[in-house]
Amino acid sequence: MKARILVVDDDEALSEMIGIVLRNDGFDPVFCANGEQALAVFRSAKPDLVLLDLMLPGMDGIEVCRQIRAESDVPIVMLTAKSDTSDVVRGLESGADDYVPKPFKPAELVARVRARLRPGDTKAPETLTIADVSIDVAGHVVNRGGRKISLTPLEFDLLVALARKPWQVFTRELLLEQVWGYRHAADTRLVNVHVQRLRSKIERDPEAPEVVLTVRGVGYKAGQ
Amino acid sequence: MENTEDFEAPGKAMPGAGAPAAPRTAAVPRTPAVPPTSAAAPRTAAVPPAPSVPPTSAAPSVSAGAPGQTGWEARRRLLQDFLLHRARDFTAWLRRMRTRLVRRWRTSLQFRTVLVTLLVAFLAFAGVGAFLSNQIANGLFQERLQQAKQESSRGMTQVQESFDNAQLSDLPSVSTYVRDTLKLLEAGGADENRKYLMVEIPGQTNSLSVSSSDSGGVTRAIIPAELSTAVQQNSGQFWQSIPLPIGSKDVHPALALGSRVNLLGTDYELYLIYDLNNAQDTLNYIQSVLWLGGGVLLLLIGGIAWYVTHNVVQPVSHAAAVSEKLAAGQLQERMTVNGEDEVARLATSFNKMAASLQVQITQLAMLSQMQQRFVSDVSHELRTPLTTVRMAAEVLYDARGQFDPINKRSAELLYHQVERFQALLADLLEISRFDAGAAVLDAEPRDVFAVVEHVLDGAAPLAEQCGSELSVVSTVPGNSSVADMDPRRIERILRNLVVNALEHGEGRKVEIYVGSNADTVAIAVRDHGIGMTPGEVGRVFDRFWRADPARARTTGGSSGLGLSIATEDTNLHGGRLEAWGEPGNGSCFRLTLPRRSGTALSVSPLQLPPDGGDSGLGGLELHGEPVPADEAAIKSATDVVSGKITL
Repeated sequence: MKARILVVDDDEALSEMIGIVLRNDGFDPVFCANGEQALAVFRSAKPDLVLLDLMLPGMDGIEVCRQIRAESDVPIVMLTAKSDTSDVVRGLESGADDYVPKPFKPAELVARVRARLRPGDTKAPETLTIADVSIDVAGHVVNRGGRKISLTPLEFDLLVALARKPWQVFTRELLLEQVWGYRHAADTRLVNVHVQRLRSKIERDPEAPEVVLTVRGVGYKAGQ
Repeated sequence: MENTEDFEAPGKAMPGAGAPAAPRTAAVPRTPAVPPTSAAAPRTAAVPPAPSVPPTSAAPSVSAGAPGQTGWEARRRLLQDFLLHRARDFTAWLRRMRTRLVRRWRTSLQFRTVLVTLLVAFLAFAGVGAFLSNQIANGLFQERLQQAKQESSRGMTQVQESFDNAQLSDLPSVSTYVRDTLKLLEAGGADENRKYLMVEIPGQTNSLSVSSSDSGGVTRAIIPAELSTAVQQNSGQFWQSIPLPIGSKDVHPALALGSRVNLLGTDYELYLIYDLNNAQDTLNYIQSVLWLGGGVLLLLIGGIAWYVTHNVVQPVSHAAAVSEKLAAGQLQERMTVNGEDEVARLATSFNKMAASLQVQITQLAMLSQMQQRFVSDVSHELRTPLTTVRMAAEVLYDARGQFDPINKRSAELLYHQVERFQALLADLLEISRFDAGAAVLDAEPRDVFAVVEHVLDGAAPLAEQCGSELSVVSTVPGNSSVADMDPRRIERILRNLVVNALEHGEGRKVEIYVGSNADTVAIAVRDHGIGMTPGEVGRVFDRFWRADPARARTTGGSSGLGLSIATEDTNLHGGRLEAWGEPGNGSCFRLTLPRRSGTALSVSPLQLPPDGGDSGLGGLELHGEPVPADEAAIKSATDVVSGKITL
């Protein structure tokens, strides 16, 4: 089955070009050129992934991102012309899983899309625990004290990666490779922002984390 | 003059004599050795009660004997401690006051001016007052002296005449005669306070001589020996100022005038004593008026000085406060203008200056903002079509195998030039972001070695292409050194340096030195290629400058902005980027960063160049050795000094 991808971008030429590239690689692109209609198109098309431009007429890409995230865990990859820290971080904080800075190569875009669409390998039934959080890997469910916590697939993958090897300190680069699928240098802010978002969901006090611990100067590790 | 001093002496001595007595008597109850019970009780109450000797134990101490003694001892010690403590408190307070005054003196112009004015005025008043009172005293004395001399010489002559005419034969009548004659002297003058004293000059034997006669209150003792000797030995009139005791404790200044008289063959010293108390009173009164007037004037001058300096200093300090606020960025701050005087002119021109500053700064801020927005807009507007072009070029490039040679070459050119265009655009945008002040440091603690390794991973393909060997030389024990850095920027700097080194390295080895100390880390990239002349070293960080314009741009992305961007990135970290080069001997770039962002840089832990500028030829042998052996040897020999990792 072809994966359906919603491309939200106001630049028609770019949309068309992205469409050509995506079709070439066996995806099924759907287009939307307006921020205000994005949510409606999203609901009707039910895409497997959203490619979202940050600067849109009508409604800001960040706002669109927030609305989609509010009702779905679908992977969102931002297309951004601004590589300024604040914009990227704002986009990631509003719920995007990854971003591709313009100008990008077709291969780069496809790699990002594929990485996010990675079919959930049929996972063996496995239950992991960090602190008082239990993770049912196959069932994709996270519980703390009997209460279910809703995580996006990316956040789930991040938590599982840490929980599988609680003795290991993960550098940001290693997490980028394991969770995001980057093989070369990438923006480590992705890790920082998503760790923060994960903490805000699973920690009792995100200021004093117990589940995802920071190892100063190195990276992150699972709590005991 | 000598006389006037004498004349003043008794009057002045009086308060002086009383003064030392006062503290001595006051000190008596303070001496803790003999504490009367009544005095000791309130004193100990002021002392914090010692746990061993509660105050109640003091009451039965009279009968208790030995314990009472120790009680007193304890009290004595307590009291001593208390006084010592108080004294220490007082000295501490004095010291505090002194530092406060010194600070005030240094920081307040007004305080200084008023103090100096008061001091100078006081000195002037004291001088003038002393001179005036001296003159007045002298005048009063001289007048009294002249008067006394005339009176006494007249009186003496009368007495002598009367004595010459005396016809007496028995002692009692002589006594009576003398007393009656001398009575005239007492009453004769204008001054009521005139006294007389007549004493026989010793060493005469005459039956009809009276030993002495006086008007009461005066004795032989008050006449100075000097005067009496002069009178005894010479005829004529002599005088001297003397202290005249009145009653039991009063002493008045007085004049004693003496001459010799003869009565019935016996020589006598006859003294007339003039009490100068009235003159002294007048003088005291004048002096107190002078003091009072001086004090009032001093206060007045102090007040005037305060008022004037306040009027002058106040606008100045107001201006200082306002300019401090302006400097702190409150550009709308202005001085208040009152009237049309000089101060008002100062305020007006100050305000004008502030206004023009504000305009300039706002304009600059606006320009900078516009530049930032322009950069941001250009960034977005250019990048979107560029993305399309790039994707299209890549699609064409990927399909070039199906094209005829002309189209194929065109597709290749398009693809490569779009790449180059994109790199150039990225660099331009980056540099304009720095120029607009829009670059933000996103620092976090990172291990320098991890960053270096990352960069070397990325540069490996180019190194292979150039045929250069990349190696890391560490002087850091444990090969780990964490510093606050923006990894994106530091990686960009290092990538730039490494790519430059490879490009200009002539295929020889390229070394990356890493060093650190307590508060800095340093990374130096050393190549052994064509090197640079001193002139080139000086220009290497200039924008769009190329060492060799004819040199092929093998790596595409070199826009001539790379090192400028690296410099800006370094500055953003508060670090230093320096270059060294020698033609034919290679070049070296050293990056020094503070470990903690925001702290000042100390000495770089690496030299420039780290190997002292040796030719690369010597090193060739070194890396001919098997790498693991080399690494193991160095590490086992000196764990701390140096470790070498070859990738």
